Amino acid sequence: MNFDFSAEQIMVQDSVRSYLADAWSMARLRRLIEDDGDGFDAALWDGLAALGLPAILVPEALGGLGLGFVDLALVLEECGRALVPGPLVETMIATDAIVRFGTEAQRLALLPGIAAGRLRVVPAIVESGDAPLATPLAGGWSLSGHRMLVPWAAQADKLLVAVRFAADAAAGLVIVDPQQAGVSLRAETLFDPTARAFDVSFDRVVFGAAEVLGGGPSAAAVERIGDAGAVAAAAQMCGIAARMLDLAVAYACQRVQFGRPIGAFQAIKHRCADMLVQLESGRTAAYFATWALASAAPEAVRAVSMAKAYCGDASRFICNETIQIHGGVGFAWELDLHLYLRRAKTLEYSYGDATAHRERLLGAVLAGREAA
Amino acid sequence: MDFHYSAEDERFRQDARGWITANLPPGWGRDVHEPEDEHARYMGRLAWEKKLYHGGWAGLAWPREYGGQGATLVQQAILAEELARAGAPEGLNIIGRNLTAPTLMHHGTEAQRRRFLPKILSCEEVWCQGFSEPNAGSDLAALRTTAIRDGDHFVVNGQKTWTSFAQYAQWCFMLVRTDPAAPRHKGISFLLVDMRTPGITVRPLRQISGESEFNETFLDNVRVPAENLVGALNGGWAIAMTTLTYERGPEDALARQIRFSRDLDRLLDVARTQRRHGAPAIDDPVLRQKLAGAVIEVEIMRLNCLRSFSRLLQGKPLGPEASFQKLYWSHMAQRLYETALETLGATAPLAAGDPATPAGGLFQTGFLQSRAFTIYSGTSEIQRNIIAERVLGMPK
Ligand SMILES: Cc1cc2nc3c(=O)[nH]c(=O)nc-3n(C[C@H](O)[C@H](O)[C@H](O)COP(=O)(O)OP(=O)(O)OC[C@H]3O[C@@H](n4cnc5c(N)ncnc54)[C@H](O)[C@@H]3O)c2cc1C
Repeated sequence: MNFDFSAEQIMVQDSVRSYLADAWSMARLRRLIEDDGDGFDAALWDGLAALGLPAILVPEALGGLGLGFVDLALVLEECGRALVPGPLVETMIATDAIVRFGTEAQRLALLPGIAAGRLRVVPAIVESGDAPLATPLAGGWSLSGHRMLVPWAAQADKLLVAVRFAADAAAGLVIVDPQQAGVSLRAETLFDPTARAFDVSFDRVVFGAAEVLGGGPSAAAVERIGDAGAVAAAAQMCGIAARMLDLAVAYACQRVQFGRPIGAFQAIKHRCADMLVQLESGRTAAYFATWALASAAPEAVRAVSMAKAYCGDASRFICNETIQIHGGVGFAWELDLHLYLRRAKTLEYSYGDATAHRERLLGAVLAGREAA
Repeated sequence: MDFHYSAEDERFRQDARGWITANLPPGWGRDVHEPEDEHARYMGRLAWEKKLYHGGWAGLAWPREYGGQGATLVQQAILAEELARAGAPEGLNIIGRNLTAPTLMHHGTEAQRRRFLPKILSCEEVWCQGFSEPNAGSDLAALRTTAIRDGDHFVVNGQKTWTSFAQYAQWCFMLVRTDPAAPRHKGISFLLVDMRTPGITVRPLRQISGESEFNETFLDNVRVPAENLVGALNGGWAIAMTTLTYERGPEDALARQIRFSRDLDRLLDVARTQRRHGAPAIDDPVLRQKLAGAVIEVEIMRLNCLRSFSRLLQGKPLGPEASFQKLYWSHMAQRLYETALETLGATAPLAAGDPATPAGGLFQTGFLQSRAFTIYSGTSEIQRNIIAERVLGMPK
């Protein structure tokens, strides 16, 4: 029993933080807002790949670092804190699914490239009306339907598409090349202008068992990728919230009104204290969830939903109050606050919002009591 | 990071579980509950605490020389979980165990530790805390109770108030003014006072819950041996800060979490049997959201404690971070009991004593008691000041 990160894990966090402090900036991020190209920052991707981030979850035999989700926790927090744009985190989420569910051939085909920073794989799992349906063909299936909010689909080499299999009413993840015939992408207009996402349509895309992650339908794989995404979102929200609280405290100490720094007013300082309580409690939940995922603990479902629900609410509170504490300038486009707010809000509604996760958690708790 | 328990810890858990089951009355938590009568309830808690002690479950992580078991904080956390699972009663000597003991371990003389610590564990001596006065609450340094040296004694005069369990306590640790001329924080000393000394009058005060846990304590020429001074003369303020850190810290919180998790468990049962809109309350989606929120918050309270324990195990001091635990759980528990009353719905106005009230009025009492959580051990406003000023570095 130990709730601490190891010295190595903290060292990795420090190296990511100092790399981002040197090589990355909000000014660079802002370029993505005006960018009408693909928005992909190749230099940042290469730099983070050189630090080994996409290799973290890949087994050593396949060129990776052979680490687990706990090793990712602080890295994800830093990615949130610096608003690192995709598809790095999305690729990590997909990597987790490939490591756990991929066939030997799939692992060999994908993981070394991911570890080396050559391959980008993103999940395409957001529920929308016309979910992709696979109907059987001779020697495989034909896939039609669409997925919305597929992050960075145009920059991805592969999509992991959550699919329903018509015949046996099962679910599974299918590896699809976004450039392949029958796949079309429409760039979506997003609340977070530093993100990219696509509505991806599938029109009779033919695939075989070799493209189904694990070789056949697997509801567990679909659930797992959602859980990994939820925990990654929770950890990133902690990073963003921590950054927002830093900004709120710094501003409150420096802004003078009525002859005093506004941070001397209890209405402000007490709010900051409440923000800290929620931030730290959110971290507690998020860290625990990374462990539960890494060790496939029986309480994983509860831990994941607890983290996503609590961190979502905490991030909402902290981001909103940080803007309030800044007054008028908090509403100015030129300040970066809204960029944190927009990313955090997007994460809040990604991989299941707080309401959905509370419902899921209660269902699991009640089922557990029934069984006991 | 690893939440697996070692084989040794798992064995410890099985032992604890076995012992608790064997020692709680049969049917405990289902057909048998704590008595409604307050005095009987406290005596029951004291008896249970003594039973735990004789079973070897008290002071698990304390050093052996003071009666402890030399076990780990992790095992202490496991015991807390098992007590919660069984719905075991709380203790009566919480102040002695959680406040007096760590304060003496930090600041007491060896003689004081040997004299007092073993009897705290065995519950032969129950303790109370004499900090607050009528005009010194949040502004504790305004305290006026005086202690004047007279030979090898101090003579104490004044009044303490809101003194919890003073009517059951054999001992009280007390803040007294020993130098009225010094600046406020520099004239205060920390004394251990035997509650059986002539000149002490304890008058129970009725609380909003109807109970009388706290008291007024009057001190009229109370003679306290000089050897009962803890630390330096006029050095009491720093010692009081140590006490408060423990009062707000993870060990205290974990012991309380036992009760919240037990009550939450009961609440989930009640939510199945209560009906609203012609269906079980547990089917109401709005209520489900609140119950799920409560499950999450109670679990995070436990995990927050474990996270602090890990810091302590690494030898990092808790300091002002303790205020974060207290601020978290006090508001969490208030939300929990509000949700409990919402679950009772139309039957919420029935209270303990009415045969039709679900869970015997447990949640109504819990709700009333929870209003005190954000007041004692330093109000939430004071905790927020501490966090903002000492953790976040904001201006005074
Ligand atoms: C059930 C219970 C048990 C208790 N047990 C004990 C005990 O065993 N021993 C003991 O010594 N004491 C005990 N107390 C007393 C408790 O510690 C005090 O009530 C508490 O410290 C607040 O002091 P006060 O009651 O004088 O309120 P006040 O200090 O008068 O506070 C009144 C209100 O003003 C606010 N306030 C005060 N100062 C500030 C400030 N600087 N900034 C913003 N707001 C402020 C407070 O937050 C509060 O809301 C107990 C209290 C309760 C309710």
